[in-house]
Amino acid sequence: MLRYTIRRLLQGIPVLVGIVTITFFLTDAIPGDPVSIMLGPSPSQAEVEAIRTKYGLDQPLWLRYVNYLGDVSPIWLATTGSFPFVRPTFGIDLGRSLYYGVPVTRKIAERLPVTLYLLFSAFAFALATAVPLGVISAKRRNKPTDHVSRIVSLIGVSTPSFWIGLMMIVVFAFHLGWFPSTNLPLPWADPASVEGARTQVDVITTSLKHLLLPMVSLGTLQMAAFTRIERSSMLEVLSEDYVKLARAYGVSEGTILRKHAFRNAQLPLITIVGLNLTGAIGGAVLTETVFSINGMGRLIITAVYNQDYQLIMGTTLVFGFVFVVGVIVTDISYAYVDPRVSYGERE
Amino acid sequence: MATTTESRSEDALSETSPGDGPESDDPEIEARVGISYTLRQIRRDPTALAGLFIIGFMTTIAVVAYVDAKLLDYWLANTFWVNPENDPQTVSTLLPPFFTDNAYGGGTLNHVLGTDHRGRDILVRLFYGSRIAIQVGFISTMIGLVGGTLVGAVAGYYGKWIDDALMRAVETLYAIPFLVLVIAFMAAFGRNLTFAMIGVGIASIPTFARLIRSRVLSVREEDYIEAARAAGVRDRNIILRHVIPNSFAPVLVQGTLQVGYSILIVAGLSFLGFGVQPPTPSWGQMLSQSRNYMLENWWFSLWPGLAILITVVGFNLLGDGLRDALDPRINN
Repeated sequence: MLRYTIRRLLQGIPVLVGIVTITFFLTDAIPGDPVSIMLGPSPSQAEVEAIRTKYGLDQPLWLRYVNYLGDVSPIWLATTGSFPFVRPTFGIDLGRSLYYGVPVTRKIAERLPVTLYLLFSAFAFALATAVPLGVISAKRRNKPTDHVSRIVSLIGVSTPSFWIGLMMIVVFAFHLGWFPSTNLPLPWADPASVEGARTQVDVITTSLKHLLLPMVSLGTLQMAAFTRIERSSMLEVLSEDYVKLARAYGVSEGTILRKHAFRNAQLPLITIVGLNLTGAIGGAVLTETVFSINGMGRLIITAVYNQDYQLIMGTTLVFGFVFVVGVIVTDISYAYVDPRVSYGERE
Repeated sequence: MATTTESRSEDALSETSPGDGPESDDPEIEARVGISYTLRQIRRDPTALAGLFIIGFMTTIAVVAYVDAKLLDYWLANTFWVNPENDPQTVSTLLPPFFTDNAYGGGTLNHVLGTDHRGRDILVRLFYGSRIAIQVGFISTMIGLVGGTLVGAVAGYYGKWIDDALMRAVETLYAIPFLVLVIAFMAAFGRNLTFAMIGVGIASIPTFARLIRSRVLSVREEDYIEAARAAGVRDRNIILRHVIPNSFAPVLVQGTLQVGYSILIVAGLSFLGFGVQPPTPSWGQMLSQSRNYMLENWWFSLWPGLAILITVVGFNLLGDGLRDALDPRINN
């Protein structure tokens, strides 16, 4: 198990290097000079030179690429200074944000927990609703329950998530006033920093209240997609020979569903959960915009609007990292659920 | 001389390609493949028909809107609808739909779905917004489909290091979240519709490439590919004429679903301010503009969202229908 985990993690490295490469050259293609954005109109020649040297912009493109690649690696033999002199450096450095003037890693550390909190709860919501819906739908195939569940999931996969958010704000936040429509405090935040909260319990309830609308808005698409997978996968398993055999032996339908079919039907769902992370992250960008949540999604939008090169690269890389880790985690849980997946073999 | 023998041998081969081969004598097998079978299946499937109807309806509207905007100089719009910019006296902003009332007045039949914050009729803007959605959906999917099919087919057909290199690249592209990739792409090349379409197209390459590659891996082992290779057909022709056509079914299904997905993505992009720039109407951008007014004027946000929803439902219905028709395993 440990060896499999380590090997899967190592396989993620080339993908991460690829992401760094794509974002680096894509960002380099952004028109405009970051230095002139920083210094405002008509800076002096000396100022420009100083900034260019400070941020390493006076170096050729390939050297900047090699250095950036090194800076984002935990351990790296640095080539800066008199190349080819090398010295090891430790730690991850994503550069300094041009707009905020702070290290990109600090900005991301500030924003990432909110986005992960939102993503995890959206997936939890999606799974908690989709699995029962899919199973019931498969069990009562072509009955009214099945039709309702299929129509709901069809509409779910066809609706823009941000529009669901907008409509929920209108109904639940504005007209009914049940839930707040902006901001998302973390449940472990300091009570002093959250409005109207005195104890940690207050913070948690406030946080959950804020979470509900964005969670449903982001989770609906996933819920619908998972329901469709769960249904078809259950149907497939229920038509397997061993299920027919169990039926022939007089095993009750409930037992067949629980013991014979359910576990085997979860395999495709697990794969989809990992792969859908990439779509959900995109959805998080929109959801954060709709609900004015200060997470990674809004960070990258601000970064693009302000042409904050380092921040664009940093956020994209972290998003890619989240996805790669997510896929590896699902792969490992796949191996855990299905004993037939051997850890030693190539996938 | 060499080329003539080659083309002749290809003709001979295509005559014995699947569907026309000896097995076509057996009506049972012949009846389950091919375009005519698929079409028959779809005609019998009410959901696929509903999808086809929605797509046809939306595409017709989009084509009419396109022709009106490009060739007729908004003749339709000016004839059937009072342009507030031409006649400032009639401007009534934020009118509700015709059956409701609000602080700005009662809804009228002139503006069935109400008016927006600048007094423009929402129905007319939805009408012109449809051409953006349909155009974006089809073109970006086409880019992704052609690119992904070529990459996937080449990777699957040649295997070895070519496969490894191409699929690693595709995986990397897939690892960057779709929307984030398109946003970064548009930041680099320009924030307009063309780059939105290209960006969404490129971002959808991995889906198609992975899909067709997995099919090609089994198709390339087929006897007719072996025969074509033995007859000296060039690799390029084998891939284009035999490998891709025989692996295409899942791609077609995914392509249909992808059109709907692209429409959703581009609506999201327009909502964030990337994509179509005002005053050209698009559904996503209408939603974005409605944010400041939607609390008091719910319909302003409702209609564009519904338009997106209905269009995407159409593509999803057709995609599901196609999948059922093309995958005989599900039919039992």
